[in-house]
Formats: sequence, structure tokens, C-alpha cells
Amino acid sequence: MSRINRRDCLKGLGVSLALPLMDSLGWADTKAAKPPVRLGFMYMPHGVIMDQFWPASSETFLSSPPPALESLRPVLNQCVVMKGISGVPIAPFNGAPHALELSTWLTAMLPAADKRHEINIAISADQIAANHVGAFTALPSLELATMPQTWKENQEGLNEGYYSHCSFRSPTQAVPAEVNPRNVLYRLFNKQERGGGAAHESSPLSSLDRSLLDIVLGGARDLRRTLPVSDQRKLDEYLDSVRSVERRIAAIEYRQKDAAMEKAGVRASKRHASDSPPIEIRIPDGEKRSEYMQVMCDLNILAFQTDTTRVSTYIGSTPNGASYPELGFNDQHHSNTHHNDDPEKVRKIARITEFNIAQFAYMVKKMANLREAGGTLLDNCIMMWGSGLEDGNKHTRESLPFVIAGKGGGSIKTGRFFSDTKGNQGDLLTTLLACAGIPIDRPVGIATKQIEELKA
Amino acid sequence: MAAEAATRHRSNTPAWLGLCLILCLAAPDVLAAANHDALKADADQFFRDRVTPFVTTYCIPCHQNKRPTRGGVNFSPALKTPGHAAFTEHWKRADARVKANDMPPKGAPQPSDADRQMFTEWLPKLKYLSDKDPGPFVIRRLTKTEYGNTLRDLFGVDPSIADGLPDEVSGQGYLNSLSSLQLEQYLNIADRVLRQIAAPPGGRPTDIEKRLFGPSITPGNDARQAARKVARSLARKAYRRPPTEAELDVLVATFDLGVRNKLAYQSALHLMLKAVLVSPQFLFITPAGDAAASSNGIVQLDDYQLASRLSYLLWGTMPDEQLMTLADNGKLHEPAVLKAQVKRLLDDRRSRALFDGFGAHWLSVGGLKRQVFDPALFPQMTTAMRQAMYDEVRLFFQSIVRDDESVIRFVDSKYTYLNGTVAEIYGLGKTVQGPEMRKVLLRDGNRGGVLGMPGILAATSFPNRTSPVKRGVWVLEQVLGEHVPAAPPDVPALDKQDQGSVAKLTLRQRTELHRTNPVCANCHKILDPIGFGLEKFDAIGRWRDRDHNGQPIDSTGELPGAKRFSGPADLKAIIAGRDADVARNLAEKLLAYALGRKLEGYDEIVVDELMADLARDGYRMRSLINGVVTSYPFLHRRIEEHRRLNEQN
Repeated sequence: MSRINRRDCLKGLGVSLALPLMDSLGWADTKAAKPPVRLGFMYMPHGVIMDQFWPASSETFLSSPPPALESLRPVLNQCVVMKGISGVPIAPFNGAPHALELSTWLTAMLPAADKRHEINIAISADQIAANHVGAFTALPSLELATMPQTWKENQEGLNEGYYSHCSFRSPTQAVPAEVNPRNVLYRLFNKQERGGGAAHESSPLSSLDRSLLDIVLGGARDLRRTLPVSDQRKLDEYLDSVRSVERRIAAIEYRQKDAAMEKAGVRASKRHASDSPPIEIRIPDGEKRSEYMQVMCDLNILAFQTDTTRVSTYIGSTPNGASYPELGFNDQHHSNTHHNDDPEKVRKIARITEFNIAQFAYMVKKMANLREAGGTLLDNCIMMWGSGLEDGNKHTRESLPFVIAGKGGGSIKTGRFFSDTKGNQGDLLTTLLACAGIPIDRPVGIATKQIEELKA
Repeated sequence: MAAEAATRHRSNTPAWLGLCLILCLAAPDVLAAANHDALKADADQFFRDRVTPFVTTYCIPCHQNKRPTRGGVNFSPALKTPGHAAFTEHWKRADARVKANDMPPKGAPQPSDADRQMFTEWLPKLKYLSDKDPGPFVIRRLTKTEYGNTLRDLFGVDPSIADGLPDEVSGQGYLNSLSSLQLEQYLNIADRVLRQIAAPPGGRPTDIEKRLFGPSITPGNDARQAARKVARSLARKAYRRPPTEAELDVLVATFDLGVRNKLAYQSALHLMLKAVLVSPQFLFITPAGDAAASSNGIVQLDDYQLASRLSYLLWGTMPDEQLMTLADNGKLHEPAVLKAQVKRLLDDRRSRALFDGFGAHWLSVGGLKRQVFDPALFPQMTTAMRQAMYDEVRLFFQSIVRDDESVIRFVDSKYTYLNGTVAEIYGLGKTVQGPEMRKVLLRDGNRGGVLGMPGILAATSFPNRTSPVKRGVWVLEQVLGEHVPAAPPDVPALDKQDQGSVAKLTLRQRTELHRTNPVCANCHKILDPIGFGLEKFDAIGRWRDRDHNGQPIDSTGELPGAKRFSGPADLKAIIAGRDADVARNLAEKLLAYALGRKLEGYDEIVVDELMADLARDGYRMRSLINGVVTSYPFLHRRIEEHRRLNEQN
């Protein structure tokens, strides 16, 4: 496998040697350099009302989009919608549609049947991308969620983590998502919200911390040697976490050095003069779901805009427990999905879907208005919105709803609707990784091919 | 069906086994071992003579070690080591499919009815095929709560200092993995702890600094030597075991780092303390040094690990000095000592952690604070109300532990704990007033016990109405310990033209439509009656005679075995009559929580033995806790690599 693995990089070369690497690969060092392609995923559970989601035809897609996509109208020419992308067939887990809709979404793979009570699935597409491009940025990837991933429901004896996670760093390691916008802001930029919020009264990470962690890491490796295999695996998560903090401190130092050099006139600014300035983050005080989701979207935009990460995953809602008082009703999302064509419930599901797509639209419209390298930020992104079921009422997954926004640095031809795509979820993920320039040595999950018609 | 099946499983124990169990009372250890060997030999032979030919004939042709295996099911390894814990689920599912005539599929050769019956009745013997095995005990990270409490005990800081850490999924004891950024939060929290306990630069050391670091160093003394001494005492507390010399070297190296960076002695010690707080030995419960495993890879827990296991189970925090001293002397694992410690820990008020960590999840009130209720329909569900509902369940749980009551009290009790807030739900607002919770005797037979407790009734409701199905599932799974399979996918829609008439039905009539469909009927004929038996409690647990449409509520029903009931009080009596099931369920859930893993294979035998003991003294709560803490898997661990080697041989 010939790829730059960030862990090997750090293990083999040491953090200090990772710096020149970042230096040489940073995208805007030369004026002619193309901005990197960023890859973002956003999830809604339980499927859609099909006749309100699927466009009527390729011809009318842009002029009269279906109700669910109305909020995307201004940027529809920068989107692609495909009908016919099938999900992973879930037998022998037929009784676990919700545990699997999320966990198969980016893995395109079923959990191992004989180890179902553990996490044992496959690395997810976002983490494959992070393995390749993560070494160039302060954070390899960003995982966000709107609600804590603590909903517990045991379906078909599957590990409860499957219910609320979609990112997997390895087959056996689920990546938890951050739900607190203040924490995200602090982690992304080592700083607090301007003028407010006292979530962190901490001092910024220092180089002394880095040296301290180096010593602790040495001690942890000694400990690891004395432990049985299963314990070692558990400790590896810890080692991973230490390394990622070390990397981040290195990245902060690098950025500080860079800024100082720019200030002293030794080096040209990384940013193009015409680029939009970084957006501002304002964290709302209330409990309104739309405001909360929008600040998470803003953080995602800012992380991409400042090249703090190039891969993000946002679980807009986990498969259960969510309700939408903001839409004027309090019952839970899931209980309405089994609507049996009851018009009232159908209306509610349609509203919930519109709401979720509107938050995605908020994000991509904002990206489409941010200038970057002569184009827009959205031009250099691939943003995928989707659900892990097509019809929540019957748990079908023959044609999963997806919206792709952004031209992926010119790799995707947008403004199109394909009414009869042949392919599965894995094929789609494989294609998107390829469009993002990720050198993949094997297809994602059940993929057998790439979906060529998507490409420019 | 589910209920019947489960009862049948349990009564399947052959009569001679019952006799053995009685004999066991004489000299339990010797006889239990001999008994287990005899049962194992019998089960082995039965598997060889009857089950193996069945599987070879009807299953292996499709499900074998050859690609592609059908449905991801492969019986080849399970045939070799049928008792391996990894295959327990496998056999259970096979049993269910064969019983339901799903397997072998149509068109394939079919077993005779007698063979089919043999295969399904064989399942209860499965456990005897397992080797005596305590299961793996993978090093475990402290939970958010445990971590906060441990910081409190070490430094006197408020445990809420840990609030910023992500919440955990702890189902079956599996913690979610460590986020790649979580260590940064640990670093930040360490900084905040230091800021709270440390004197300002140049100031006199605070009391806590004096306690942790000893006297300030006088010029001329060897600072490094002194730092090593401090490291040794710090690590013993924070790592909850004596540190190794290599671990001390690491800590002294961080002290040296501080000195190199021109920090004064005291500040360099602070840096060392920070290193302690982000070390895996602090964040995880780790063994004290290399364990010498026996040839089968099974080791007894060292006393320090046991002290931590026990202390985090009952107190949710680090072991105190008394436990540590017993571990120092190598005494803790002695049964009498261990039982005395269980008593001491349970008598201490810190044992409320057993409710917050275990009881609240078992009784499903852990999420009550965040649960959504329709504010227009239920304006009563204020923060104070949710807290009072939670506290009622907590105090009730704690009283059963404190007074060593029979676990049947959970179902059937004459008292509860109320304050003025939650008394409103009971309609007792006139007699119970004020914010303090107190013990209240109940006259109403429909109340008393978890089935009629507002916190639990609310936790099993939707935001705007009750859910008889959720309540039914809750009683079966949380009280009786039965497994209710998920609803099948693609639940058939009600016929469209029926919609007008369906709208006019009551919730009960509508739910009863489940039972007109044979697919649904199997489970719902048990679930629904229990749920409807509780329908006179509304979505936040208030008594009512009519539903929100003004229709009278029918809370009569019948459970399999011609057990008729006319409301919650009767239902409660029927459930309480299944005392062995209630106790077994609690024992299983507590053991799984204590071990931090799912129960499998040999664990079933552990529970069988525990139940025999418990039955003799009327299922008392403290006996149950003692039984769990002194059980074989709690005191031992299997080391994975040895197991692997054996499997390869």
C-alpha cells in the first residue's frame, strides 16, 4: 500500500520532522497551486417521503425541483442528485434497520456477524480520506453530531455503538463525534468564541506540553509491552489520542511561525488577496435546533476555509430520540416515519426532511458565496447529504436519497439529476474519494466500480 | 410466546439436576465441581451423538468453511469448539430458526419433527460445553463519572470539573472509544486541577500541596531524590497500585523536564503531577505488573485490581486507604475479608454510585432529564419534577440495598419516597409537601414498586402519549429479563381503506390490530396486555380512568397460563409471583455491569449457581451483590494471548 500514513509518519520521523513535510505540501505556498479538495458528509436518519424528494425528471430538475430540495434552489446548478444508488442489503440483520442505516452509511459494509456484539465493521470513507490528506492539516478529520451518541438500543444483538456512529477509524474503532460547538471552536483554533462563552478557562497548549506528552508516551509504550494482546488494543486508542495532540501542538507552532514570517515579510501570505476573510462564529444561547445545526455548519465551513481539516462528517441527527419542537410538533422523528400513509404523519416527515436539507443548504449556499482562489469555496468541495434509508415507513434501501454539492475542484459535473443510476452506496463513496483525489487501493465496502457519469 | 419460551427454558433442568443442587448444599465446592464435570461430560456426549449429525446433515451443506458462506453463517468452527463463548449467539439463532421452521429452507432436505425438537431442546445444555472461563477483562478506562469522582477524592475538587468530557455509550459495559481529541481535554482538566490546588508562584504551599508533595525542599538536599519520593506516593494513589521503578523513571523524567525549563522545585512537581493525570495508568485500571498466568491463560486478579474493581462498582470512585492497605497485605481476595468490605462499602453513602451507575440505567431513568415531553400537554415536567422522579427511584433502590430486602420489593412494595413535587403525580399533594424526599407508606395497591413509579412510567412514554408497547417491552426486558426481538422490517401497512375506521378506534383497539397479524401476534400477545395493564397511568404516571379522548380505559387482560388481571395491582402480583425470574434478571444485569461485558458461555453456569444460593435466603439484595462480587469471573481474568495459542494448537 503506497500511501502517506500519518501514524507511520509520526512514528518513524518524529513530530519535528513532520513539519517540513507539512511545509512542502501546504497548498497555497505557491501562487499557482490549486486549493485542495475538501470532502464533507452530512446525515439524516429514517429516509424521506419519496414523491416529495425525487425530482420529476432530468429536464425539470433545475427549473422545478421537488419540495424537499426547494431550499437548495439557488445552488442546484452546483448539485447532483442520483436515483438508484442502493444501500447494503442488511440480511442477516433484518431486525436492525436503524442500527445499520447509520453505521453502513460511510462503510458500505455490514458488521461481522460472528462478532456482532463488538464494533467490527470496516474503515469508513471519511476516515480513508483522512488517512491520506489528514497529515497536511492540524486535524486529520472533523466529526460532529447534533446530539450525544448515547442512544441505546440493542437490535439483533449488535453493539449499541452501531446505532449512533458512522465514522470508523478502523474496523474495530468507532470515532466519537463532538456535540458542543464551543469545544469544536476551541479545538479547531485553540481559541474561544469572540466576546463570550466561558467553556474553557484553559491555557493554550504549549511546547512544554508536547515534551511532557513525549515522555508520557514513552512510558505508555513500556506499559503496553507488559500487557496481553487485548489490553494492548485498548491502549492503542490512548496512544493514538496522545499522538494527535502532539500533532496539533506542532501544527499550532507551525502556524505561529508562519504568521510571524508573513508579518516580517519573509514569506508571501498563504491566502490569496481576493479570498474571503474567515467567517465569524457566533454560538447561540437558546435551544433552537436550526441555530444549533447552523453553528455546527459554520464551524465546518470555517475549518475548510482555513484548511484546518479537509474531511468532515456531521451526523445531523442519530436514528432515534430526535424531535422537532421548532416545526410545531413534539413527537419523535422515528414514530412518524412509520406513517402508513397517514397524511398527518407524512406531512411531518416531509417537514423534517425539508428542515434537514435546509440546514445542509445553509452550509453549501454559504460556501458558494465565499471566494477562494478565483472561484468559490464550494467549487473546491464535495459535500454529500443523505440518509441511510429510502423509505422509513418500510425500511427500504433500494434507492438511497443523496444530494452531492460542489464541483470537487472540477472533478464533478454538477447541475444534473440521474433518474436511473446503476450502482450501490460503496460505488458512490469510491467515486467521491476518487474525485477528491484520494488514491484508493481497494473499493469501499461492497463497491465493484465507480459511477463514471458523475465525473466531469 | 417469549415469556412461555423463557420459562420453559428454565424449567428444562432435569429432575436429577435438582437433586444435585440439593446435595450441593452439603459441601458446595466439591460437589459443584463434580456436578459440573458430570454435566459437561453428558453435554459433550449428547453434542457428539445427536447434535453433530444434525448440523452436518442439515446445516453444513450451505454454512461451512467455504466461500461464499450463505448469509455469513458458518458452522465449521462452531462444530469444533461448540462451547466457545463466541458461538453462543450463533447457536441461539440457529435454534430459533429451526424452531420456527425457517431452516433448513424449503427445498432442502428436512429433519423429522423429532429431530427438530431434539435440536431445539438441546440449547439449555449448551452452557455445559463451555470451559470454566472468567472471560477476558480488558483494561478499562474510567468513565466520565468515575474520573470526576477520582479527581474529587485525590484533590478535593468538584467532580463537575469533568463535565466537558463527551458522554459515553456504556451498554453492556462497552465504553465507546477514546476520541482522538479527548486527551487534550484530559490535559486541560489537569491544568484546571493544578490551578485550583496550587498556591500562586512564590506563595506558601497550600494544605493539599503539602499533603501531596510533602515539605518544601531545603537547599542542599537532592531535589531529584525528593521528587522520586513524591512520585512514588503520588503514583500509588493515582495509579491505585504501587508504581514500578520504570514508571517512576518516567515521572522523574517529567520533573527533569521542568527543571530544564527553569521551573522551581514546586512547579516542576506540578508538571510531574500533570504527567500522572494524563498517564494511561491513571486513566485506565491497569494490573500491577506482569501477571503470571496458569497454562490455560487464567489469572486471579491481583488485590489492587480487585480493590479498584470493587470500589468503582460500589462507589464509582478510587479505592480508599483501607482497601489499599488490605491489598498491600494481600488479604482483600479472601472471601470473608471481601464480604466485610462489601458491607462497609454499601453502608457508606458513596454507595449511591451503584444507583447512578447501574440502577438508573437498569430502571431506565438515566435519560429522564433530557427526555422530551410536550410542554403543552405536560407542563408539570419541570426540572424539579424530573429530579424528584429520579430521586424517588433512587431512594427506593437504595432502601432495598440498605435494608437488604428481597429483590421482589422492586416489584411489590408498600412504600416509596416522595416530596411535594412528585406527590402531585400521586394525588398526594395535600399530605406530602415541601422539597424534601421522605419515606411514604402507600395505601393504593396500584402503586408501590417499579411498575407504578412515575419516573419509570414517564421514561417509557412518548412525548405526547403513553406507549403500551414500550411499557410492555420494558417490563419483559428490564424486570423479567426476557429478550424481545425487534419488530420485523417492512411491517405491513394497515389497509388504506380502513383508515377512516382506524381513526375512530381507541389506542387499545388500534394496538390490538397487531394481533390480527400472525407475524406480530407472537410477541404482541404478551407485550400488549402488560402495556395495557398499565394504561391507567398516563404518560407522566398520573392515575386516570379515561384517555385524552374521554374514552374509558380498559386495563384488564390475560397473560399466558390463563392469568387474568384487572389492573396494575393484579398485574404487579402476577409479575411478583415470578420471583426467580425477577431475581435472575437482576443478577444477570448486575454481573454484566460489574464485569463490564456481556454474559456468555460459562457465565450462565455462574448465574445458575448464584441463583441456587439466592433462592435459599429469599433473594436478598445484599446476598445478590455479595454473590456477584465473590463470583469466579469477578475475581479472575483470562489473558487473551494464551487463549489464542491454545486455539491454534
